[in-house]
Amino acid sequence: MRGFDYVGKRMLFAALTVFVAITLNFVLFRTLSGDAVSALRCRQCTQAFKEYQREQLGLDKSRWEQYQLYLEDLAHGNMGKSLRSEQPVTHELWPPLKNTMAMVALGTVFSIVFGVLVGVVCAWRRGTWADKGGLWSGLAFYSMPPQWLGLLMVLFVAGWFGLPTAGIKDPTLGILGDASTWDVFVDRIRHMLLPALTLGLVLYGEYALVVRSAMLETLGEDYVLTARAKGLSNWRTVRTHGLRNALLPIVTLVALSLGFIIGGSITIEYVFSYPGIGLEVVEAIDQRDYPILQGAFLLLTLSVIGANLLADLLYFKLDPRVSG
Amino acid sequence: MTTPLLALEDLNVWFELPGGGELHAVRGVSFDLEAGERFGLVGESGCGKTTAMLSIMGLLPPNATVAGEVRLDGENILARGEETVSPHRWDDIAMVFQGAMNAFNPVQTVGSQIEEPMHLHGVAEGKVARRQTEELLERVGIPKDRADRFPHEFSGGMRQRAAIAMALACEPKILLADEPTTALDVMVQAQILELLVSLASDFNLALILVTHDLPVVAQVCDRAAVMYAGEVAESASIDALFHTPKHPYTRLLFAATPDLRAGGDRVASIPGAPPRLDKPIVGCPFQPRCDSAFAPCATETPLLKNVGERHVAACHLNDHVREPATA
Amino acid sequence: MSASIQGGAAAATEGVDVGAARRPGSIRHVALREPTAIAGLAIIAFFVLVALLSPFLVTGDPKAKVGPIFEPPSASYPIGLDGGGANMVDLLIAGTRVSLMVGFCAALVSAFIGGTVGVLAGFYGGRTDVVLMRTTDYFLVIPDIPLMIVAAALFGRSLTNIIIIIGIIYWTTTARLIRAQVLSVRERVYVKRARALGAGNKRLIFKHILPQVAPLLVANTVLLVAYAIFAETFITFLGLGDPSVISWGRLIENAFNDDAILNNAWWAIIPPGLCVTLVVLGATLFGQSLEDALNPRLRVGHLSVRRFKVRPLRGKLDSE
Repeated sequence: MRGFDYVGKRMLFAALTVFVAITLNFVLFRTLSGDAVSALRCRQCTQAFKEYQREQLGLDKSRWEQYQLYLEDLAHGNMGKSLRSEQPVTHELWPPLKNTMAMVALGTVFSIVFGVLVGVVCAWRRGTWADKGGLWSGLAFYSMPPQWLGLLMVLFVAGWFGLPTAGIKDPTLGILGDASTWDVFVDRIRHMLLPALTLGLVLYGEYALVVRSAMLETLGEDYVLTARAKGLSNWRTVRTHGLRNALLPIVTLVALSLGFIIGGSITIEYVFSYPGIGLEVVEAIDQRDYPILQGAFLLLTLSVIGANLLADLLYFKLDPRVSG
Repeated sequence: MTTPLLALEDLNVWFELPGGGELHAVRGVSFDLEAGERFGLVGESGCGKTTAMLSIMGLLPPNATVAGEVRLDGENILARGEETVSPHRWDDIAMVFQGAMNAFNPVQTVGSQIEEPMHLHGVAEGKVARRQTEELLERVGIPKDRADRFPHEFSGGMRQRAAIAMALACEPKILLADEPTTALDVMVQAQILELLVSLASDFNLALILVTHDLPVVAQVCDRAAVMYAGEVAESASIDALFHTPKHPYTRLLFAATPDLRAGGDRVASIPGAPPRLDKPIVGCPFQPRCDSAFAPCATETPLLKNVGERHVAACHLNDHVREPATA
Repeated sequence: MSASIQGGAAAATEGVDVGAARRPGSIRHVALREPTAIAGLAIIAFFVLVALLSPFLVTGDPKAKVGPIFEPPSASYPIGLDGGGANMVDLLIAGTRVSLMVGFCAALVSAFIGGTVGVLAGFYGGRTDVVLMRTTDYFLVIPDIPLMIVAAALFGRSLTNIIIIIGIIYWTTTARLIRAQVLSVRERVYVKRARALGAGNKRLIFKHILPQVAPLLVANTVLLVAYAIFAETFITFLGLGDPSVISWGRLIENAFNDDAILNNAWWAIIPPGLCVTLVVLGATLFGQSLEDALNPRLRVGHLSVRRFKVRPLRGKLDSE
């Protein structure tokens, strides 16, 4: 079976990385902030109560035992309880995760669409003003801090289009009368639009540049000259021979940028008060809710690892030359 | 006199250089090609032979400027550049490129890429195209079930054959082959050359073979032009070029080729290097390296003169010949 | 931020003179010839100058209240006043100093770690290489910004900590780059010769390999400065920065927290972000063109909208 080797290797690597991530998570949080939990949480508490807390959180055991407990818990899907709400972490994080995934998906779609369009046009009209303009604008947006861009969006764009700038729900929806599913859907999208657009703008520059390079490199390939010699028009050559080859790198690129996407989305969610996992992280930091923070971080790391693996597998499927 | 199938007249190509200035890569090249004829274009690397060949199909980059005529059946297909030349691509004139290994798009099957020009030029569709593709592949010595494979699954030699099959997809009148056997090992080289010769006769193809490899020209071609520094130095039948060359460059070039059959001969290489093409050339371009240079060579450009039956050469040694070559 | 911007700003700096590229290590040569590199360098130089001169340009406490909150730009205060009534110009200048310092220091930390890892992995090869590279691989997958944020949350908010945290996150791409360079240098004739003459490892590394690797490291460090400044804005924006210090990131955070938007105070929002964007842009352009000059790749395109040109015959050559 073609590439069984390759798939196997990638999955093994992903599994190992997951393991490393879990361990890192443990090391970061338990080992280094264990006592901070009890100390900061409760200044008026008696010593006995603090002892009780420590026992509850398993901090009285040795590091190694704690680690084993941690792994066991994880295997059961138990990430501890939020210090604020006493609810299980998994329970608390699920809705925000959904919100973030939706927004990030939309943002990524924007960035890919912009990126491919601009990249192709730039390669197409290489050396002209269109090319330079596309490149510069891409670079410029890429250099902007996402939160700043978000603020600019709020300042200038929101008013223009009457788009909401905070939260994910219109509080008045459903009060005066039943809101249909369509209404709810539209409402959600409207709230997602600005954050997703901000994300899209910050990211597209990188994709445009890569598409352009890939396109140019493809266009320099001999088979493109052959296509031209066969009598294909420029456009047809680009479409049938250039585009697909040039788009392959985008697949991996999207996965690789996931780290940045996640980081950027944290600040973007903060600016727009968008109730996603990024906002959860920030609030958890504010309120020293370490279990939530730890759980969120683990989830984020796992999604990046997962996305990388997905990209590897996709690339493998799309490029017949890769056979492991 | 019948019109030749292909006639190049005073073809000139300039390239704009990135730092400003121009590279005059092809400097007034002219030759004729009859139907079914096998013609070689020979010279050192950088002499402009590939550029001249690409110009025939108009496959030049945007920084190129072209002057002169390329007449196909009497009609100048370069008259308005891309517009007039592109309809003839593949249909009338097809090409096998240097390093044809890379002529194929790696993410598409070989068969689909052979069928592509058939669809494009309305030669065949669907099942008919498929069948013709398979026939072509078999004709070049590739089993027809390979049509659904990807290029990287073929060996170098087989890819070359597939590229030749692809070139024949629309039954062109002229096949241009640029160094078709470089980068192939010797056994495969011989096979490919034999293939080209048999295809040329079966399909009544005219063949222009560009190469720096003289034995190849000797094996395949009837006539050849020797190019130097963007110009035609001499053009004649293979026999005449070998035995009665009228240009020192031709003579030295053929002497520089080791003849493996006659053992132990010295290999004479021509010392020096070709002139730069981004500056105007005064006098004969070969003069600095020529062993027979004399008074007029450094200052006067030699003209192409008729020195025999379909034999022209540009050298002052032939100055006693009265008439210039008619274009 | 992934290093795939490598495909990137290369494009904006296209047209690098092949002649310059053929002489490796001639950074100055490239910097002085290529227009986008010059632009990038100019931008960086400007801000560095401001940062260095800031003690002289800002007298007194930049945070001091000198007028009403969010007063719009006027003749005396060309960039207006912020949410605390302080002069935006002073704040920006003070911020330049801090932001650039954080950027440079963190970049140096990253470059040092990355460079060391890269040299060791490339030079010693074998097990060392495998171990180091595997570690790098794992590090690469873990998302950098959440890691930074979490680390900042856990380890406290002093400026030094921030610098260290940023430095520790970004060394991975440098390590790979340097390792590749070391691998190619290691095989060069003069290194082998020196080794044959009995030069010890330390001497080989310091005298022969490092000088060849240094230019690329410098180029990469410039890019790292861009990443670091960018990262600092993330951290401070989320309230994790050093509270006693003014940086551009802090100014953006302040604007946000002080409801600059409600007050339509664009002058409090736009300038700090603009500064970050410009410096990051400048550093990216400059660093990228340096890197490209040291790793040249040129490609000819076969397709373009523009066509080749046809010239009428200039007149046949004279016949005698």
